[in-house]
Amino acid sequence: MTPASETAGRPDARAKLHGAVRYGTDLESPGMLWGALVPAPRPSGAVRRLDLSAARALPGVVAIGPDDLDRLLPPAYRSAERPLFAAASIDYGFQPIAAVAAPTRAAARAAAEAVRATVDPAPVVADVESIFPDWPGPEAVGSPHVAAHVHAVRGDVDAAFRDADRVVRETYRTASVHQVALEPHACLARVDGDRWTVRTSTQSPFGTREDLATMLGLPESAIEVAGTWVGGGFGGKGAPLLEPYALLLARASGRPVRLALDYAEEFRLGRTTLPAVVRMETAVRDGTISGRRVRLLLDVGAALPGRDFATGYSIGFLLGPYRTPTFEVEGFGVRTHKPPFGPHRAPFAPQCAFVVESHLDHVAREVGLDPEAFRAAHLWREGEATPLGQPVGPFGLAAAFERARATARAWRAAAPPGHGVGVAGGFWSTGTGAGGELRLRLAPSEVVLEVGEREIGSGSVVAGLRAVAVRVLGLPADRIRVESLGTAEAPFDSGVFGSRTVAVLGRAIEAAAAELRSILAARLGAGGPVEFGIDGERIHVRADPAGGRIDRPLADLLTPDERGEGGVVVVGKHYGRGGTIDESLVRAGTFYGYTDFTGAAHVAEVAVDRATGAVRVVRYTAFQDVGTLVDPPAARAQVEGGIAMGLGTALTEEAIWSDDGRLLNPGLLDYRIPTFGEVPPIEVEFLEGFPGAGPFGAKGLGEPPIIPVPAAIALAVREACGAHATELPVTAERTARALKLL
Amino acid sequence: MTGGPIALRVNGVERRASDVPASERLLDTLRWRFDLKGTKEGCRTGGCGACTVLVDGESTLSCLTLTHEVDGRAVATIEAGGESPTMERVRAAFVAEGALQCGYCTPGFVVALTGLLEERGRAASRDEMLEALAGNLCRCTGYAAIGRAVERLRAEAP
Repeated sequence: MTPASETAGRPDARAKLHGAVRYGTDLESPGMLWGALVPAPRPSGAVRRLDLSAARALPGVVAIGPDDLDRLLPPAYRSAERPLFAAASIDYGFQPIAAVAAPTRAAARAAAEAVRATVDPAPVVADVESIFPDWPGPEAVGSPHVAAHVHAVRGDVDAAFRDADRVVRETYRTASVHQVALEPHACLARVDGDRWTVRTSTQSPFGTREDLATMLGLPESAIEVAGTWVGGGFGGKGAPLLEPYALLLARASGRPVRLALDYAEEFRLGRTTLPAVVRMETAVRDGTISGRRVRLLLDVGAALPGRDFATGYSIGFLLGPYRTPTFEVEGFGVRTHKPPFGPHRAPFAPQCAFVVESHLDHVAREVGLDPEAFRAAHLWREGEATPLGQPVGPFGLAAAFERARATARAWRAAAPPGHGVGVAGGFWSTGTGAGGELRLRLAPSEVVLEVGEREIGSGSVVAGLRAVAVRVLGLPADRIRVESLGTAEAPFDSGVFGSRTVAVLGRAIEAAAAELRSILAARLGAGGPVEFGIDGERIHVRADPAGGRIDRPLADLLTPDERGEGGVVVVGKHYGRGGTIDESLVRAGTFYGYTDFTGAAHVAEVAVDRATGAVRVVRYTAFQDVGTLVDPPAARAQVEGGIAMGLGTALTEEAIWSDDGRLLNPGLLDYRIPTFGEVPPIEVEFLEGFPGAGPFGAKGLGEPPIIPVPAAIALAVREACGAHATELPVTAERTARALKLL
Repeated sequence: MTGGPIALRVNGVERRASDVPASERLLDTLRWRFDLKGTKEGCRTGGCGACTVLVDGESTLSCLTLTHEVDGRAVATIEAGGESPTMERVRAAFVAEGALQCGYCTPGFVVALTGLLEERGRAASRDEMLEALAGNLCRCTGYAAIGRAVERLRAEAP
C-alpha cells in the first residue's frame, strides 16, 4: 500500500489557482471569427423558407444553412441519420437551422438574429403523458412516438400476484436534471485543405472524432480532435454538440471559428436526463417479495428511433439490487420535442434508486414490516444472480447497508422533533466494457503517461492514473506525469465517462508496466523480477538474480532509437468485456448487461419546516464500496461532490417545459443547484474487500456516490413529517401539498 | 454613458484601452482585451460567481459590471501575484485541502475569499466566510473541501 502522502495533492492545483489553465471557453486564435447557432423558432414543424440574405449583408458575416452543405462537405454527409440543420422536420426546440460567424461576439449574435425563417408548425409533443395519457398498449410498439421498447419476463408473474398476501401499486414521476458544468460547451475549429481540426472541451476526443466523421461524411483520418481542460463534464460533454457547426463555419469562412454556448443555450441544447413516469407493482407473500411489475415511460426527447440506449440500460436499475423471483419489466423510450436524452452522472440511476427504495420502503410499511430490514433481507449477495440473470461478483452493498442502518439507529436516538433519518442503497456498474490504451514512456528521469483525454475535474486523468503508476512502478509521484495529446498522436481511448478511467486505463498501465519489466529484464540479463528506483535525479532499474544484485541507471540501458525517442515506449491496452444477461428472459428490445457491480448505502438526516415544507439536510454519511482505494483524497472528493449533486436532484433541480415545448427555466437563478450553505457536513466511509475489475481490484467511483442520494433524502423527509414523496424533486411546494399546507 | 477610453489598474499593472463601448462588460475587457482569461465566464447573468473579481478590494461580479463603471479603479483577478499575499494564503489553503476539481469556479472562490480576508482579516468568522461565498457555485466538490480550506484559513489567521 502506497502511503496517501505520496499520491496526495493534485498536479493541476497550482495552475488552476493562478488562472493559468485554458478551458474550451478560453479558446482564441488570430483572425478567428465568433460563431453562433440559429435556433429553430419552434420545437416542431418544417422550415418552409430560410432567408440568410440579411445576415450575409452584415459586414464580415458568413452564414450557412442546409443548402450550403453540398458545397462544404463530401456527399457522404447525407447518410448521417440526422441532418446537421433541421429543415423538413424540426425535432426539438432550439435545434440549429443555420449557423453564422462574424468578427465579434456581438456581431455574431446580431447576424443570428438577422436570419429569417418561416416555419410550418406541427403539433408539439411536450411530454410523454400527453402522448400516452393511459399506458401505451401493443399499438405503441412501432409507433413513431416510440424510440425504444424493451420487455422482459421471468417466471409466472400473474401467479405471483394472484397468490400474494398483499399487492402494492404506486406511480412515480421524476424530473429532468441538467449537468450544470459551470463551463458551457465551447470549441475552436479550423480547416486547412483536407485537414479538419477542432479543439474542444470534451470528455471523449476519440468518440467525438468518430461521431464527427459520420456527421460530416469525412474519414476519421481527416479529423483531429484535441481536448482542452474541461470545466466540468458530468456526462454532458461526451459527444459532439457544437463541433460540427464550428468546423462547417471554419470551412465556409476559411478562418478559425470559435463557437461557444451562452448559459441559456447550454440549458436548451444540452443532452441530459429527461422526465420519466414509473409504475411499480409488488407482490408480497410471507413477508418476502414474490413478484414485481415495473413499467417505465422514459422521455428520450428527440432520440432517433432505434437509437435510444437509455431505456434498455436504465430499466435494470428499476429492479434495484433486490432479489425478485418473478417479474415483468417493460419500458418505452418515448420521443418528445426536447433535445435527445443524454448522460448525466450515472444516467437516470439516482432516479431509479429513488423509485425502488421509496417503493420498497412503502411496501414494507404497507405489510407492517420494518422498511430497512425488509430491503436488507432482499439485497443481492455475491454468488447470486441478478433478476436479469447476471452473476453478482464481489459486491459491498449488503455490508454498506448494515453500516448505514447502524448509523441511522444512532442518529434516530439523538434526532430532535421534526427531524427524520433515511437510509437508501444503490448500485452501479463500472464501465469497464469500454476499452482503451495509453502510452507509457519510461525516460531516464521521469515517466510520462500519454493519453487521449484531458482532465475533466475528478482528477482521474492527472492524479488517478498517476496514483496507479506510483503503485505499479514503485516510483514516487513527482516522477510521474500525465500528458494529454490530441487524437492525431494519442493512443485510442474511449474517454472519461462511465467511472471507467482509472479502472480501464489503470489496467492498461499494469499491462504496459509488465511489458516494460520484461524488456528490461532481458537487457539486464536478470531473468527475474525487475524493480524501479530513484538515485538522485535518475531512474534506476534493479534486479536480484541468483548471481547478485544488479542496479543500473535506465539511461545506460537505452538503445540508440530509444535515446532519440526519449525513453522506452510501450503501449498498454485494456479491453474488458461487457456484462451479459439471460437473453431467454427478453421478449423485446435490447437490455444491457452491467460489468462490475459496485454499491453504496447512504444515511441522511433532514429537518422539515412544518410551515413551508422546506427541507434542510442536516447531516449525511456515505458507505461506499470501492473495491480498493487508489487515491484516498480524490476518492473522498468524488463522494462529497456526488452527494452534493444528488442533493440537487433530490430537492431543487428540475428543468420545466411548457405545454408548447419551451424550456421555462434556462438559467441558474431559476434552475437551482445546491449552494454552499445547503450542503450538510458529509462523512465518507469506504468499504474495501469487494474487489472489482480495475487495477488492484479498484472499482469506478465517479458516478456511484450520486445514486442513493435522492432516495435517502426522500425517505428521511417521510420519517420527519410523514410526506411520502412519489415525485422528484422533493420541493418545498410538493412537501407542503403532501402535508395539506397548500 | 458613452464609449471611449478606459484605464484600469489590474493586479498592480496599468492597463488602458481606447475604444471600449459603453456596453462592454468588465469580464470581457479582462478576458478578451487584456488576455486575463483566469476570470471565468459561467452564466454571464450573475448566478454563478465564476467571474468574481475585486474592484478596489470589493468582491464584484465582472459579468454584471460595465467596464466604464470602474474606470480608473483597481481590479484584482486570480492572476494576481506577489502583490496579494492574502490571495497566496488562500491558494495555499486550497492546495492543502484539495479544494478544487475542474477548477472553473475556483478563481471566483479564491478571489471572493481574498476580498473578505483583506477587509476583515483575523476577525472574519466562519459564517462571514460562508456568506462571502454564498453566490459562488461549485458543481464538483460539493463545497466540502472548500469548507475545509475555509477552516484552515481561520485556524491559520495571521
